[in-house]
Amino acid sequence: MTPMVEALIFILMAIAAIAGAVTVVMARNPVYSAMGLLGTLFSVAVLYVLQLAHMVAAVQVIVYAGAVLTLFLFVIMLIGVDKSEDRDEKLPGQRLVIAVLAGAVVLIAGGLTFFADFDWVPAASAPINPDLTNGTVQAVAEPLFTDWVLAFEATALLLTIAAAGAIALAHYRRRSQE
Amino acid sequence: MITPEIQWIAILPEIALAAGAAAVLLIEVQWKPAANRLGWVAGISFALAMAFTIVQWLTASDALAVGQIGSLLGFSGMVLMDGFAVFGRLALLAIMGLGLMSGWRFVTGLGRRGAESIALILLATAGFSIMIASNNLVMMFLGLEVGSISLYVLAGMTRDTSRSDEAAMKYFLLGSFASAIFIYGVALLYAGTGRFDVLGMRGFFSGVIVTAPAVILIGIALVIVGLGFKVSAAPFHSWAPDVYQGAPAGITGYMAAMAKVAGFLAIARILITGLPQYEQSWAPVLAGVAALSMAIGAFMALVQSDVRRLLAYSGVAHAGFIMTGLVGGTFTGMLFYVAVYALQLVGAFAIVAAVSGSASSASDIDDYRGLVRRSPVLAVSLAVLLLGMAGLPLTSGFVAKFGVFAEAWAGGFEWLVILGVLTSVVTFAFYLRVIVMMFMEESESDLAAPSTPVRWAVGLAVLGTVLFGILPEPLLRLAADAFPL
Repeated sequence: MTPMVEALIFILMAIAAIAGAVTVVMARNPVYSAMGLLGTLFSVAVLYVLQLAHMVAAVQVIVYAGAVLTLFLFVIMLIGVDKSEDRDEKLPGQRLVIAVLAGAVVLIAGGLTFFADFDWVPAASAPINPDLTNGTVQAVAEPLFTDWVLAFEATALLLTIAAAGAIALAHYRRRSQE
Repeated sequence: MITPEIQWIAILPEIALAAGAAAVLLIEVQWKPAANRLGWVAGISFALAMAFTIVQWLTASDALAVGQIGSLLGFSGMVLMDGFAVFGRLALLAIMGLGLMSGWRFVTGLGRRGAESIALILLATAGFSIMIASNNLVMMFLGLEVGSISLYVLAGMTRDTSRSDEAAMKYFLLGSFASAIFIYGVALLYAGTGRFDVLGMRGFFSGVIVTAPAVILIGIALVIVGLGFKVSAAPFHSWAPDVYQGAPAGITGYMAAMAKVAGFLAIARILITGLPQYEQSWAPVLAGVAALSMAIGAFMALVQSDVRRLLAYSGVAHAGFIMTGLVGGTFTGMLFYVAVYALQLVGAFAIVAAVSGSASSASDIDDYRGLVRRSPVLAVSLAVLLLGMAGLPLTSGFVAKFGVFAEAWAGGFEWLVILGVLTSVVTFAFYLRVIVMMFMEESESDLAAPSTPVRWAVGLAVLGTVLFGILPEPLLRLAADAFPL
C-alpha cells in the first residue's frame, strides 16, 4: 500500500469516526446515537487494519460492534424508543462558559505546540519486533500467555468483581418487600 | 514451546486474598453460613496474605544483600517484589484488617449480600496490592481497575438512601473518567519510549537525550491527573465529599484509606522510579497540586457541618501534605505519612460509623455534641485521632508532617513548606471545633455501645497514632528501607 493511499484511507476513516462520535452526542433519538457509535467503531476497526492489527480489528467488530452495541440497543428498546431527550438546561449559559474554556485550552495547547520547541517523539524509539507487527492471532496470543500472563490472570479478577458486584447491587430488595 | 516465567512468591499475598474471596463466595452459595463464619474465612486469608508479605520482605532483603536484583522481578518484569511494594502491601493489609473490623456491623447488616461485600473488600485489596507492586504500567492499570471497581460497588451497597446511590454513581462515572485519563497518559508514555515497564523507561531515558518531547510531557501530566483524582488531590477532589458522605459509614474509612495509599505509591513509583530525568518537569506540577490541595482542603473543611464532609476536605488537605513529600524526589516521608494517616482515617471513620450508624449516609456535626457524656472512650479516641491528623506533637501526625516538610525543604521548595505550615494551623481550627463540641457541650441523645470489633479497630488506630508519635523510629526505619528498585 502506498503512503498516499494509506493517508487517504486514514483521512476518510478519521472523518467517519468523528462524524459518528458527533452523532452519538447530538442525535435526539437514542437509536440514532447507537447507530453513530456503530459508525465510529467500524471506522476505528478500519484504522486498526491500516496498522496491520488484524486481530484487534476483528475483535473490535465482533465484540464492540456486535455484542456491546446489541446490548445498547436492547436497553434502548426496553426503556422506550420514542422517548426523546429532555434538553432543558438547569444552568443557563453553561455551554458558553465551557466553549470559552475549551477554546482557551485549545489555543494554549496549539500555541505551545507551534511556538515552543518540542520534539514530538524522542529520536530513537525502541526497535519494534517485526514478528509482533503482523497482528495475527498467533502474534497476539503468544505474548498474552507468556510475558503478559499475569495481566491476563488479573482480568479474571476483574470479571469476578463484575459478577459479584452485579449480584450485590441487583439482589437488593427494599425492607418492605422482604 | 515457550513457557511463561512464573515467580509465585511475587504474588502470593494477592493469591491468598483472591482465593479468600473465591472461598467466601463459594461457601456462601453452598452452605449459607452465619456471617461470622465468613468472617473467619476472610480472617484466614488476611493472615495468610500477611505471612506471605513478611516472607516477601525477608526474601527481598536477602536478595538485595547479595545484589541479586533480578530475582525481585516476577512474571517477565510485570511485578516487582522490592521493599516499596512490600511496605505498601503491609499498609494495605493493615487497613483491610481494620476496615473489616470497623465495618463488620455494616457487613452483617446486609444480610445475604454480606458475602459479596466481604469478597469485594478482599478483591479490592488484592487489586491495589497488584497496583503498587507493578513494574508494568498496563499491570498497574489493571490493578487500579480491580481495586476501584470494587470500591464503586461497595460505595453503593446500601440502597436504602438515595445519597448512597448518588455517591456510587458519582464515584463510578468520575472514577472511570479518571482511569481513562490515566491509561491515555500511559499510552502516550509508551508512544514516547516504546516501553510499558517503569524500570525500562528509566533505562530508556538514561540512554537517550531528549530535550522536550511533547508526548512524554503530556503523558506525565495525564498520569498525574488520573492518579491525583484517586488520591482526591485538588483540583480533582470534587467527588470526595459527596462520596464520603453518601457511602455507608462502616466502609468509607477503608475506601478512602485504600485509594490514598495505593494512589500515592503509584505516583511515586512512576515519577520517582520511572521518570527521574524529568524531575524538572513534574516536581513543580506536584508542588502546585500540593499547594492547591492544602489550601482548598483546609479552608473548605472550616465551613462543613457534616463530620464526613469535614473528614473528606481534610483528606484533600492531607493529600497535599503527602504530595509535599514527593516534590523533592524522595519517598521516606511520603511512606510514613501515608501509612499513619491511613490508620487515623480508618479509626476516625470507625467512630463515625459507631456514632451515626454503620449504614447511614449522613453524620451531622450536631450528633457529636457532648459525645463525652454518652461514650467517653469514643470521644477521647476521636479526639486523639483528630489531633493526630492535625499534627500535634507526640502524635504520629507531627512526625509525619515534620518528615515531608523536611524533605520538601531540602528539595528546594521552601515556599511550599511555609504554605504547608500555615495550612496546618488552619486545620487545627476545624479539628478543635469537633473536639470542643464533643467535650464542652451538653448531650442530647443516647448512644448504643460500639461492638467489640469496632472497639478493637479504634483501639489499634489510637495505639498506632500515639505509639508512632512517641516512638516513630521503627516505622521510619522500615519506610527508609522500603526503597523502590
